[in-house]
Amino acid sequence: MEPPKIWRERREKYLALGILCQECKKKSFPITQYCPHCSSKNITELKLAQTGKILHFTRVSQTAEELMFYAPYIISLVELDDGIKVTGQITDIKLEELSEGTKVRMVFRVLSKNGEEGLIGYGFKFVPI
Amino acid sequence: MSKLGIVSYGTYIPKYRISIEEIAKVWDDDPNEIISQLQVSSKSVLGPDEDVATMSVEAARNTISRWKGNPQDIGAIYVGSESHPYAVKPSATIVAAAIDAEKELTAADLEFACKAGTAGMQMCFGLVKSEMIKFGLAIGSDDSQAKPRDPLEYTAGAGSAAFLIGKERVVAELEGTYSITTDTPDFWRREGAVFPSHGNRFTGQPAYFQHIVDASKGLMEKLGTKPSDYNHVTFHQPNTKFPLTVAKMLGFTTDQIDISLICKNIGNAYSASSMLGLAHILNNSNPGDRIFMTSYGSGAGSDAFSFLITDDIEALKSYPLTVEHYINNKEEINYGKYSRFKGILR
Repeated sequence: MEPPKIWRERREKYLALGILCQECKKKSFPITQYCPHCSSKNITELKLAQTGKILHFTRVSQTAEELMFYAPYIISLVELDDGIKVTGQITDIKLEELSEGTKVRMVFRVLSKNGEEGLIGYGFKFVPI
Repeated sequence: MSKLGIVSYGTYIPKYRISIEEIAKVWDDDPNEIISQLQVSSKSVLGPDEDVATMSVEAARNTISRWKGNPQDIGAIYVGSESHPYAVKPSATIVAAAIDAEKELTAADLEFACKAGTAGMQMCFGLVKSEMIKFGLAIGSDDSQAKPRDPLEYTAGAGSAAFLIGKERVVAELEGTYSITTDTPDFWRREGAVFPSHGNRFTGQPAYFQHIVDASKGLMEKLGTKPSDYNHVTFHQPNTKFPLTVAKMLGFTTDQIDISLICKNIGNAYSASSMLGLAHILNNSNPGDRIFMTSYGSGAGSDAFSFLITDDIEALKSYPLTVEHYINNKEEINYGKYSRFKGILR
């Protein structure tokens, strides 16, 4: 990952921030300049719920080169307790130990490393509660 | 005058463990002899997507959640470690961003072998006492390195502990702190070297024991206290035998040190070691208890602290992600997976 991307996305990825539209009052993720529901620009940052449940999940074995160190890993669609759905990795767990509906909480983890000398990308993943 | 002390605390220990038996099996060592010498049964191991920055963030977040205060009020963050993910680029800035403490604060990474975290605590105490900042966050965090087959491989673990220092709702009032520093080359890692080296038995008497004894006696002399005045004590835990021995040398009983001894389950968490012991003690302490802590960092130095527990401790004890929680939340791995996680197998 390039420095500007890490810097620009750090609040979204580190703090798990979405947006709350002040016009239609709908929440969404990720952070966008306009509300994806009503196109209003009148939006504020929203801290997402830190816990939720797994809706769907699968195991990723073949992936981008910078992620192969972590493969196989589990990717999941998580419904947070505030109703927002986000995609994220489930870590510290084996595939056979997971099921739909498993309660999870956010943790801070390494997302990718740009080789031996490049930047480290950090952000949220989930672990079962 | 308002009290100065610890306002909140938070810890993190990774889930993975490797047992002494599993390591001994690889090198044809006698596990019973090693367990009896070190009094350690397993050590914690970082997952492949963890490092000192992620552990520091988890410990910091647990500190903030337990405190329920505003991270924007934190004026300093110090991360003490000898295994920062970057040689140049601070872990402390990652922590600041990940707890939403940006951007009116000072921050730095510290290195003093296993006592860089307590050095950060002293810096925060100074800044808060002088009213340059309102709250300071000191973190000790390490993913300890050990050369395969080195005796250190049996104990080099991982963990993180954070303490929020301030003057409001203090749960452990600082009675005093005192340090000893000498140039003692007992353990080192040269720039660019992957694994540390050490002076074998030299790491004991002139290093660990001498510095902890001098710092502990020095603080008690300064405060006019004696070992029997304290309910609990924690020292740096490179293994379980060393802190038990130094406790006895100083006149503390096994009962006083017992709660702090987490090394038997997770090994040596280096910069987090004595601080994890302190956090575990705080969660098991009562108002009026007196707590003593002395860290040790190779190279070498010791920081001693004396704390008095206040009534406000009760409000923080129910926070669920405790040292005990993390010790019990574990998964045993074999040496093959350990090698992969540690990056020995690539």
